[in-house]
Amino acid sequence: MAASTQKPPLNREELRDIIDLSLWAGQILLQHGAETQRVENTVHRLGTNLGCEWMDILVSPNAIVATTISGEEFRTKIRRVVGLQVDMTKISAINRLSRRIENGELDRFGVRSELQRISQIRSHYKRWQVVLMVGLACAAFSRLFGGDAVVFGMTFVASAIATFVRQELSRRHFNMFLVVIATAFVAGLIASLPSAFDWGDDPQIALASSVLLLVPGVALINSADDIIKGHLVTGITRGISGGLISMGIALGLALAMEIMGVSGL
Amino acid sequence: MNDITSILWEVTQDMFWSSIAALGFSMLFNVPTRTLMGCVACGAIGHGSRTLAVEFGATIVSGSLIGAVIIGLMGYLFAKRWHAPATVFTISGSIPLVPGRIAYSAMLSLIQLSTADPKTGESLLIRASINGIQTMMILGVIAVGISAPTLFFERTRPIV
Repeated sequence: MAASTQKPPLNREELRDIIDLSLWAGQILLQHGAETQRVENTVHRLGTNLGCEWMDILVSPNAIVATTISGEEFRTKIRRVVGLQVDMTKISAINRLSRRIENGELDRFGVRSELQRISQIRSHYKRWQVVLMVGLACAAFSRLFGGDAVVFGMTFVASAIATFVRQELSRRHFNMFLVVIATAFVAGLIASLPSAFDWGDDPQIALASSVLLLVPGVALINSADDIIKGHLVTGITRGISGGLISMGIALGLALAMEIMGVSGL
Repeated sequence: MNDITSILWEVTQDMFWSSIAALGFSMLFNVPTRTLMGCVACGAIGHGSRTLAVEFGATIVSGSLIGAVIIGLMGYLFAKRWHAPATVFTISGSIPLVPGRIAYSAMLSLIQLSTADPKTGESLLIRASINGIQTMMILGVIAVGISAPTLFFERTRPIV
């Protein structure tokens, strides 16, 4: 895709609007768990389809920098991106938005109201549904690891309560690592009951499965994805932050296991 | 014959439980409701094929690669079918493949190493290294596998 020269040159006001909109879309993507390649491509497509000639983007782990170019004029802007809350509905919505712009269905004003709507999309699933299903998911993992019915039940209780604790703590904006350690601690306390009282065949499985809800799977997969596609800086950063979160899980668990006097290996 | 049926039974159970795991995490990731079934299918078939591969003698790493490639292909097809980006399906579907338990052993061994006796600490160190390396390799092959369709079919010049 070479920069086309047919596009009419834009003035500074229009360029400002375009850079604002495309960075907004990029911020939504990066914040809700998209990989770096997707952020770059989407921001570039958005900008060029809205009328600027070329767009240069730099995605760093917690900020996006972009420059719009049209004719003689260019503008640059930085947008901070903090926090990671995986939300596939928003990623999907931005993807659809980008397609609609490509087809010429939306102008700048339409894009602004669409982005407004997308950034306010709420979760499709109620909180108690998520608590229940994440508990069941971790319990299903305990089955995959070979746990019996007792382990299944205890894992379900531990992970469901842990999911609730995590929701409550995240809502109060506690530090990310603190949330992970506290959640792992709560899950560990409940999941070490089978080991402490010798219920079931292989009670350690409950400990291993009850904290799986905290495993930063998206961060780690995106990290590997970024690295194989050449985005080393974001890839390494995501990998390290995923590793630190895993360390936090282990810390919370180790604390709970020490209090309960059980061994997890 | 009996052997084959027992393997099939094992894989069926495996697919059932991994579909529940994928469903729970898809809801945690707030996937669009219309794509929920696709995510669950990716999770069940991806993890089921890894288990099948391991039953037939593959290592956990090469088995994960097989599972992830299948998830990648399914995500690529589903993306066209349900008009959603492939990431929705591939990320939620590959969560059952993420080596949570292996990472757990690695981290726990590292933490226990802090209070280990130097004479007997070796086994903990070895356990931490083996599990840590395995975790990294599995995550690597998952990423390669789920982006395999894009790496093979969409080799356009980078636009940015």
